[in-house]
Amino acid sequence: MPWTELSIGGLVAVLVGLDRTAALQLMISRPLVAAPLTGWLLGDALAGLLIGALVELLWLGRLPVGAAIPPDDTQVAIGATVLTLTLGPQLALSEFPLALLCTLVAIPLGKVGQRFDRLARQRNGQLLICAEAAVMTGDFQRIPRQHLLGLGHFALASFATYLTIVLCGWGLLWLLAPTLVGPVGDVGNWLWLVFPLVGTAALLSSINVGRALTLFAAAFTGAFLMLWLL
Amino acid sequence: MTQSRLSATVMTRVLLRSLLLQASWNFERLQSLGVAYVLAPALHQLYKDEDLALAYARHLEYFNTHPFLAGTVLGITLSLEETRSQGKTCYLEVKEFKNMIMAPYAAMGDAFFWGGVRPLAAAIALFFAFRGSLWAPVVFLLLFNLPHFWFRVVGLLRGYTLGLRAIDDIGRYHLPDLAIRCKEATVILLGALCAYLCFIALRTEEVATGWGLAALPLVAGGGWLIRKGVSALMLVLTVCALVLSLHHLME
Repeated sequence: MPWTELSIGGLVAVLVGLDRTAALQLMISRPLVAAPLTGWLLGDALAGLLIGALVELLWLGRLPVGAAIPPDDTQVAIGATVLTLTLGPQLALSEFPLALLCTLVAIPLGKVGQRFDRLARQRNGQLLICAEAAVMTGDFQRIPRQHLLGLGHFALASFATYLTIVLCGWGLLWLLAPTLVGPVGDVGNWLWLVFPLVGTAALLSSINVGRALTLFAAAFTGAFLMLWLL
Repeated sequence: MTQSRLSATVMTRVLLRSLLLQASWNFERLQSLGVAYVLAPALHQLYKDEDLALAYARHLEYFNTHPFLAGTVLGITLSLEETRSQGKTCYLEVKEFKNMIMAPYAAMGDAFFWGGVRPLAAAIALFFAFRGSLWAPVVFLLLFNLPHFWFRVVGLLRGYTLGLRAIDDIGRYHLPDLAIRCKEATVILLGALCAYLCFIALRTEEVATGWGLAALPLVAGGGWLIRKGVSALMLVLTVCALVLSLHHLME
């Protein structure tokens, strides 16, 4: 395994993973940003951009509302980028179909992230109890420390998700990639279309705008006919 | 308006700390420990000893709102805490105010930022991404973070200086209406993006262009399935498996 690349990916996974909930929320954790950033650090930003765009489209409509925990699309995007850029040279496979295949393998593994995230939030409950005890004893300096320890829990959850995606993905792809990359390459243009179409369908079903389908159909038809005429 | 007592340094520390509001998010009381952490510099300036302990205890109670609109809520909270620390009475208590405002602000922020601005910024940036331009992440971050930081910074400062009047101030933005406009714009942009991607795919595969219009019932059907409970993830994997199987059969 190329440990240097995996370590760089792990570092990005932890730092960018904190942006999901715990810190800043500048949206550097969105697949469209996290994946090209990982790709750039590993020497191929465009591969990351392709993966980031696909994952972003798929989960565009998933909202982190209240106590709901969406799948960890950040780690999916980072994991798929790391897998593409590390397996490509090792298996001597072309990048475009491999990126599609890595994304398809990483996406279901992103569900694991929900479990780790839930664990981190449960552990944070203990910090609240400690902070309350600190208030009772008048040890006010302990309160900020308890709060900041939560960052560690979220960082661990991100790293665990990244590690699961990369290790399981690596094993699966090592077995499947040599057989599947050919067929995926042959139908790559159609598979490429599945992500925006399903992502848009998901968004339209959840966007809560009365005439969403009409607007979509009008924009689609108008743009399509315009491209045809040109 | 109350006489300002909190120094600029304290307000800056509160503002910077608000970026970590959700660091200890938990299922029991959600952002409560975060609120105590964010307000700590101000509470230490306003209270001492037992009053400080009571203030901390007040802010460790259940709290949850949208993190970007929390600036306004916490700004007003500071204004109320300041009035309280001066021994003056206010017609709304700190706890009462927070309980009253957090849920509507959470709903408004979720609809505007998560449901409106984020998908719109992403939809615009995706045009750059599918053209292979590395400006895509930059465009996305800029479009999203301009309103984000406006509400975080201005919300906190205006909340503190205007006190309860800041509630009317934020009402001026008509965020629920803006959220609907953003969502409509996102749907239109996604329609154009899907049309472009279909057109490119058909041209590359040398298939008659008219088939592209078949994407419309496919998207509508996909949306119907998702509304019936099929997950988008399952749909993507099933469709990809179907495409690969068809290719295998046709070989």
